[in-house]
Amino acid sequence: MAEGDFRQNPGCAQFDRELMDYLEGEARPFVSTHARECAFCSVLLADLEQVRFSVRQLPLQEPSPVVWANLHARLEQEGVFRPSVRGWGWWESLRALARPAPLGALSSLALLGVMFIATPSALQLPETAASASSAPQAAVVASASFPEDRELARMTQDLEDTFRANEGLLAPDTRATYEKGLTSLDDSIRECKDSLRQKPDNTLAQDYLLTAYTRKAEILTSALEFQGR
Amino acid sequence: MSPHSTPLPKAAAETQLIARAQKGDEEAFAALFEAHKRRVYSLCLRMTGNTAEAEDLTQEAFLQLFRKIATFRGESAFSTWLHRLAVNVVLMHLRKKGLQQISLDETDTSQEEPVKRDYGDDDRRLVGSIDRVSLTRVIADLPPGYRAVFVLHDIEGYEHNEIAEIMHCSVGNSKSQLHKARLKLRDWLKEDRRKEFPGATIPVDKPNGKGLR
Amino acid sequence: MRNRRSGARMGEDGRGSGTVMSLLLVPAGLLLAAGFGVHSKTIETTGTPRITLTNLAGQVVVRGWDKPQVHVEYTVHSPRVEVDTELMPPSGAADKVRFTTHVLDPLVSASEQGADYTLDIPAGSSVEIRNPQGSVQIEKVQAYAAVESVGGRIVVNDFSGHLIARTVGGDIEILRPSGRVEAYSITGNLHFVSAATSKLRASSTSGRILYEGDFAEGGDYILSAYSGDMDIVCPRSSSFELRAKTVRGKLDNSLFLTPKRKASSPAYSGNSLLGTHNTGRASVELTSFSGTIRVRPQ
Repeated sequence: MAEGDFRQNPGCAQFDRELMDYLEGEARPFVSTHARECAFCSVLLADLEQVRFSVRQLPLQEPSPVVWANLHARLEQEGVFRPSVRGWGWWESLRALARPAPLGALSSLALLGVMFIATPSALQLPETAASASSAPQAAVVASASFPEDRELARMTQDLEDTFRANEGLLAPDTRATYEKGLTSLDDSIRECKDSLRQKPDNTLAQDYLLTAYTRKAEILTSALEFQGR
Repeated sequence: MSPHSTPLPKAAAETQLIARAQKGDEEAFAALFEAHKRRVYSLCLRMTGNTAEAEDLTQEAFLQLFRKIATFRGESAFSTWLHRLAVNVVLMHLRKKGLQQISLDETDTSQEEPVKRDYGDDDRRLVGSIDRVSLTRVIADLPPGYRAVFVLHDIEGYEHNEIAEIMHCSVGNSKSQLHKARLKLRDWLKEDRRKEFPGATIPVDKPNGKGLR
Repeated sequence: MRNRRSGARMGEDGRGSGTVMSLLLVPAGLLLAAGFGVHSKTIETTGTPRITLTNLAGQVVVRGWDKPQVHVEYTVHSPRVEVDTELMPPSGAADKVRFTTHVLDPLVSASEQGADYTLDIPAGSSVEIRNPQGSVQIEKVQAYAAVESVGGRIVVNDFSGHLIARTVGGDIEILRPSGRVEAYSITGNLHFVSAATSKLRASSTSGRILYEGDFAEGGDYILSAYSGDMDIVCPRSSSFELRAKTVRGKLDNSLFLTPKRKASSPAYSGNSLLGTHNTGRASVELTSFSGTIRVRPQ
């Protein structure tokens, strides 16, 4: 057969149209039928299946030791590492609240605030990230606020529901302080969301939104622990 | 502290490692890094096609992980959580680079022109002829948007609805980009094959499920 | 595990209702609280003990000293409130010391549910204080200190080490600290004076942030407000690189800054300022969402 002799016939055109859905696992019997009749389309189909198969066999790659060295240095600088003996303190008792019971499990989510607030990235200005490694840092926080803020909203709502159910246990002035704090945070969440609706890629607003959620979770956890006394 | 001095954790011990890491245990951090570094790095490398960027992004992903590890509730596998975080890191990096191709918000044009078929296709399949080096290279050569979807779906195993959520596009766009990516890879691999073995005839075979070299 | 101690290791002047009643008969000048006595203990400790104090209401004062001991004086607000002391190990120099205020009768009013404490702690200690309804004052302490209150005020003078102070609504005032300082509140105001810190992190959602004084050479200062205003008042001789940004608020700078570059990002809109004052020996980052940021000379 001479080069260029292939001419697409209506069958091949339909094959092309349905090929994508066929490879996605949808029922497209014409594709397999036509492939049995058309050598060209048969080869195309086999090739694509071979590519899919081969990529799954690709081995994992090893990063250079420099990655760990840099990471370790950053974590050390940020004070993320703590001596294990410090597990006796009440900060750690908050972390130990990651139990299946609803209150404990929800409380542990507030630690997002503890970790988040304790790191510079929470307050980092986007343009201060000069290097490639730190450039994604603020941006990651920014991007993470989109899939995560729905999750954080749900988590904080769960915490707040439990807080509301037990707020009568608090002394009036303590309760008033919490209420004022929660109102302030809710206002900031609302404002940040408004700002993001107008400009979704505003990284500072995203940072503030995430921070507001984590602060809210943090104080709700604190309040719940206090209510349980 | 070198991660290489820390033995790899067994599956059952990972929960303990995570609990220790949540308390700031340096050894636990090192062990978790050792256990997951290859998968994260490979993801970053495949999505960026660049070693230096991949190393920076690997570092960034683990940095984010260890800062947020206290939020891990154990509802999903830790590796899934880490993986999702790494994907976010890479995508944000690509977006920050201003790579327009990373946006998939476009009309599906996958059916606008017929897929190329060449002379000799009937006896020159790719079966048995794809080597890792070529495959890795052509994946790196893909436009970033195609590459991201291809890596996430065909290598990392994400579903289209997950990719759509991650990349803020529609499921339809994700599917069409993936299809285009596969077609491009196939075309480039065939070109490589022709350059390597001009005029050769490769025995026809079907994928037999056995590993390639 | 509780470990009520009396005996050779600690000096204790006794407790319990009998002591209280006998104290009531003592001339008023010797009484330090309305109707109830002052209890004190001195605990031998290791060089760097970990001290935890959990109170409910009242005043907590922590001072540093150079003895390998923890000395505590406390006064309960009600006979239905008691203080537990736990030591680990139970004998020998304590590595961990825990003071906990317990309310024995749930009908005790909120104002009576606490105790007033004064602690003297060794340099190099690790101290954690939780006093939800009361205030905390820390004087001349060198330690790792984590302090939390809900509505109470936290005041820290001449601290060195690593300090983390958190409130919901209480104000936080930190004067002349060195080392690392972190201060967070939701509605409380934050006030810093002459923080010679390598690292300062401060954040308040709706409270005001006031920083007065110079910045330490090489120091890294990050202050963030949401809707509250932020005022930085520093000497003209200060040397720092300034990055300031606000989404909807105003930026008001009265110090001469050498611009670095236009601080803009395609993904960001708002007011921003980036420049160096004098030789830029410290790094100062100020962010606000809708509050005003003012930088002016002393």
